[in-house]
This record gives sequence, C-alpha cells and structure tokens, in this order.
Amino acid sequence: MTPLIRVAGLTRHYQMGGTTVRALDGVDIEIEPHTFTVVMGPSGSGKSSLLYLLGGLDRPSGGEIWVDDQRLDTMDENRLAVFRRDRMGFIFQSFNLVQSMSALENVAFPMQFAGVIASQRKERAASLLSQVGLADRSHHKPSELSGGQQQRVAIARALVNNPTLILADEPTGNLDTTSGVTVMQLLSDLHRGGRTVLVVTHDPRMTRFATHKIFLLDGKVVSEAEYQSAALEAPQVPSD
Amino acid sequence: MKFLDLLRLISGNLSRRKARVGLTAIGVVIGTAAVVILVSLAIGLQKNANEQLYGIGDLTLIQVSPSYSEGMMVSGPMMMGGGGGGGVGGQSDLPVLTNSALDEIRAIPGVVAVMPQEYFYSMMIMKFQRLEGNASLRGIAINDLSILGLEAMQGSAELKRGGVVIGSMVAANFYDPRQRPGQEPPPPPDLYDQQLQVIAVKWDAEGNEIRKNLSLRVTGVLAEKGDDSDWSVFIPFEEIKVLNEWANGVKYNYNKDGYNQVIVKVADAKQALDVADQIIALGFQAFTMQSFVEGLNNFYMVLQVVFGGMGAIALLVAAIGIANTMTMSILERTREIGLMKAVGATNRDVLSIFLGEAAGIGFLGGLGGVVIGWLAGQALNVLAIVYLANQSTQQGGPPPSVAVYTPAWLPLFALAFATLIGMISGLYPALRAATMIPVQALKYE
Repeated sequence: MTPLIRVAGLTRHYQMGGTTVRALDGVDIEIEPHTFTVVMGPSGSGKSSLLYLLGGLDRPSGGEIWVDDQRLDTMDENRLAVFRRDRMGFIFQSFNLVQSMSALENVAFPMQFAGVIASQRKERAASLLSQVGLADRSHHKPSELSGGQQQRVAIARALVNNPTLILADEPTGNLDTTSGVTVMQLLSDLHRGGRTVLVVTHDPRMTRFATHKIFLLDGKVVSEAEYQSAALEAPQVPSD
Repeated sequence: MKFLDLLRLISGNLSRRKARVGLTAIGVVIGTAAVVILVSLAIGLQKNANEQLYGIGDLTLIQVSPSYSEGMMVSGPMMMGGGGGGGVGGQSDLPVLTNSALDEIRAIPGVVAVMPQEYFYSMMIMKFQRLEGNASLRGIAINDLSILGLEAMQGSAELKRGGVVIGSMVAANFYDPRQRPGQEPPPPPDLYDQQLQVIAVKWDAEGNEIRKNLSLRVTGVLAEKGDDSDWSVFIPFEEIKVLNEWANGVKYNYNKDGYNQVIVKVADAKQALDVADQIIALGFQAFTMQSFVEGLNNFYMVLQVVFGGMGAIALLVAAIGIANTMTMSILERTREIGLMKAVGATNRDVLSIFLGEAAGIGFLGGLGGVVIGWLAGQALNVLAIVYLANQSTQQGGPPPSVAVYTPAWLPLFALAFATLIGMISGLYPALRAATMIPVQALKYE
C-alpha cells in the first residue's frame, strides 16, 4: 500500500542564542492510510516539531515530506494553505478556539476559507457538534465550556472540511483523565470511520488506541525497546 | 473566501473591540471633519467670490478693441482728433473693427450678439431743474440694454431716439451749483420720465467754448449693477456718433476706420475664453471677466489644496493611531492568526481581514468626520453669513449667499480618502500578519 505520509532524512534545526538545537535529526518514517499512529516521546524529543512539519505549518531544515503524494517541503505558502484546508484537520493541546465565537461559529470557521455558503456552514457545524455530543452547547462561548468540551469542539472543527488526515498535538494534555479518554475515544472513532489519525503525546496510556507507534528520542526515531530502556534510565521524564 | 464572509468577519472583529476601535476612529473623525470643513470653506469662498464677480461684470460679455502697434495711439475713428481724416489707423497693417470684421466675429460659434459701443469723447454737463450732474455718456448699438444684463428699475431698458436710459447712481451725482457752504445738499432727484438737459461742450481752434444743447427724456432707470453702468447715461449708437462727429468735426466711416470698441456677447460664460481667443486670433484685443475668474478659480484651487492638506495632516496623525492599534491587535491575536492559517486561510485571506479591519476603522471615522464636518460647516455658514451680511451692508455690495459650501462630491471623497488612509495605515501590520509562520504564531505566548 502506498504510504499516506512519507518522510525522508527530515531535519529541523533551531538557533537558540549561539547554539544549534537539533529538534529532528534525520527522521525517516512512513505512515499508511487509515491508521491510528501515536508518536511518543519525552519533552524535547522533537515530536511536536514532527507534527507541525507533517502538517505544513513549519518548514524543515532538510529532508523531504510527502503527504498524499504531494511534496510539502517545497510547496509555496498559498498552495500549502489550501492543502491544509482540504486534506488536514488539526487538534491542539490548548484547543485554540476563538474566544469571541460560539462553539458553532468556531466549528464553522474553517469553512469560510473554503468558500462554503453560510447556511451550509451552519448545517454542517451543527451536525458535527451533534456527533461529538455538544448539540446543546452550540451557542456557548469557549469560556462557558469545560476543557473536555472545548477539545470536542476543536475535534469537530478539525473534521469540518472532511480531511483525510487528522493531526493532534497532545490532545489530552490539558484534560483530566475522563475527558482525555473521551477525546481519545472520539479520535479512535474517526480512525474506525476511515481517517488517518496521527497523535503526538507523551502519555503512554494513549497508545492503547494506536495501530502504529513511533518513538522519538533526541530528534531520532528509535525502537520501542530503546525507548523503554531510555525511559527506565530516566524515569522522571518531565512532561510538556 | 467570499467577499460577504470577509465583510461579516471584519465587522465582527471590529465590534468585539468597540472601545479601542472607537478611540482610534476619533482621530480619523477629527481629521476628516477638518478636511470637510476647510475644503468647504475654500469652496464657499470661491463660490462667494464668483458670485461677487458675476455681480460686477457679466461673464458672457467680451470687450473687443483694435490692437495697437508700438508708437501708434489708436486705430479707431473717435480718438483721431478733430483734424484727423484718415488717421494712423489707416497706416497700420493691424486690422480694424469694420462692419465686415464684426461679421467675422458674429460667425464665431457661441457668439449671440456683437454690439459696437462708443463714449462721448468731449465734455458733457447734465442739467435738471437747478441741479447739474456729470455722467459718462455711452452710445451702444442695441435696442435693449437687457442684452447686456442690465435691467430697468423704473421704465424700460430699451433705447429710443430722443430718450436716455440712466444708471442707478446717475441721479445721486446731481448737485446744486449754487449751494452755499454748510447748506444741506439736495436729495437725488427722481429723473424717471423727466426731461434732462444734456449740454455737450467743445472748443474751437482759438479756444472758444461751443455748446450744443440736447433735451432728452429719461425713459428708464437701471437697477444697480455694481459696475460703471451705474454711472452711465445710455443713448442710441447713432446719436453718440452724431455727437462725436460734432465734437471732433469729422464724419466717421466705420467701414474704413472701424469702431473703437465692440461688446461681444456669448451664449454661455464657459465659451467666453474660447471666443475671446478666436477674436484675438483675428487680430483684435479681447478682454473678458471670465479670464479673471479663471485666475481667481486657480487661486481658490490652490487654497482648497492647502486647506485640504491641513486637514490631511490631522488624518496623518490618525493614520499613525490606526497603525498602532492594528499592530497591537495583531500581537494580541497572533495565535488566532496561526489558527486561521492552520485551518486553511491563505496569506491573502489574512491580509484581506486585517487590511479590511484597518479600512473599517478609517471608514467609521470618515463617516463620523463627514457628518460632524458637514454639521459644523452648516453652523459656521449661519454665523458667517450673518457676519458677512453686516459687513456688506457697511461696505456696500451684495450680501453673500454662502460662506461654507459642501459640494456632494466632498463627503464622498473624504469618506473614500479616510478609508484609504485606514487601509494604508493597516498595510504594514496586515503584511506582518499575513506572512507569519503558522507554527510560530500558534506557539506565540
């Protein structure tokens, strides 16, 4: 099967003061379509950098990124924006909802950039809010919703343009355990519905939903055994 | 992104920051109001000056006279002196205002009348009862002075043989020659329909005074015009010709010597300059008040630009305010910009949103400024008209009809200008927003 995501020799270096930080250092991965992949790694391992690069939200220092047969690392900004709009849905740790908009408006927001007419936007957003169990909260502002509810709104927003790939950066990071499990369950449902889901997390409990796992240490892909061994050597790995 | 969605998003974004938008827009309100008031004032002054000029001289009239070459005095018959037969005019190649030349002028498109005019070039005294007066005696080759824009206050403006039409101030110029010092001067006589004694005076070669008495009925008194017609006594052209021939002792042949002065009337004041140019091209001198008006209009155009520029300085300060507000707004909304980009907004979408918000502040401020500027202009108008009317009563001349005039285009222009200023001010912050790297914007704390 042709991989949906293919990354070869991916590097991402940052300049911090006079020092070069190698967030990703020659990463090669392939992710099949319709999989649920969890990228595990401690804080500073480069997992979020990998997710932003795969989402076309950042530019690599080197290497190639292919998503759905499109090369992202050389794509211009506007084509990249359209690619993100049509093929990808993002879920962030801090939800990133627009505080002045209602849940319904937040969900419908990306469709404005796709040129969808207002009535269709409203209809689809309401349907998605219903799917994530927030039909009765559609007119509430983010400040009137719990963390779990806000993340469900963000998931509905990620689905609004019907993307093939869902990218989630620590989606349960700001949630209590129950809400976290509900969110992971929702993501698992999306995977079972045929979408490709890639979740970046440091929480090992989330791996139970995964079909595939990728382990990152110091910007490199490592085996699960190497990762576990490193985890045992340094059990108090601080979270993000 | 659809334009309507863009407008909705912009208005939503502006309405959720009402206080900041309002405070920023106040600067634009002041600037726009200043532009509207100052430019309206300049236009009002121009309009007022033009109205005064229209009062002084009819802008459809062109004064035409023969051209004079260096060393040459006049080419027409009246000023050639008593002994002149051919005169210097005949020795020059310059064209004279003969009847055929008048026909050429009549043929110019836009010309509606060509009227030779002559003054009495010797001394003249008017007598009415025991009063005497002086005036300029003018003969003009038309039947009705209303063609020249002169209207009768009493009687009619028609010129008839044996009759005169007098200007409004002629009666005021009469005095009692036997008035003793300290004695109250007589009131101006009502000359309408009265018989006026006109005494023409000339001197022979030995210096002996020769008088010619005419008795003329005043058939009309003209309304005040504010020009030399107020002080003139009008008679038919044939009669002034006879008087001048008597005074100079020569017979005039206009087909050979030409007229001294001709008044040309055009259908529309706008044609006056063009017709004057064509007359000059025929070799004559032509003067129209319209050329003066053009010069004056150019001056007021400069005044409008200067006044508008002063208002624009206030707008410039407001523009800095808009730029500052937008920069702050973009800093505060950096994560929102990152989100917009993550969910598919192109650089152009982000640019449009923030440029639109800046333009929106300019538009709202412009709208407020136009309303306030217009209202302030109206208030100023009322006060200024009262003041200027008092001034004109004291100094003479017609009262102004308007002091501050706001033409329909000005509010529209000011509104568009304020919006444009807003947009330009927002350009740099909007470009910054549009070119943000999504991941950096999303991680911005």
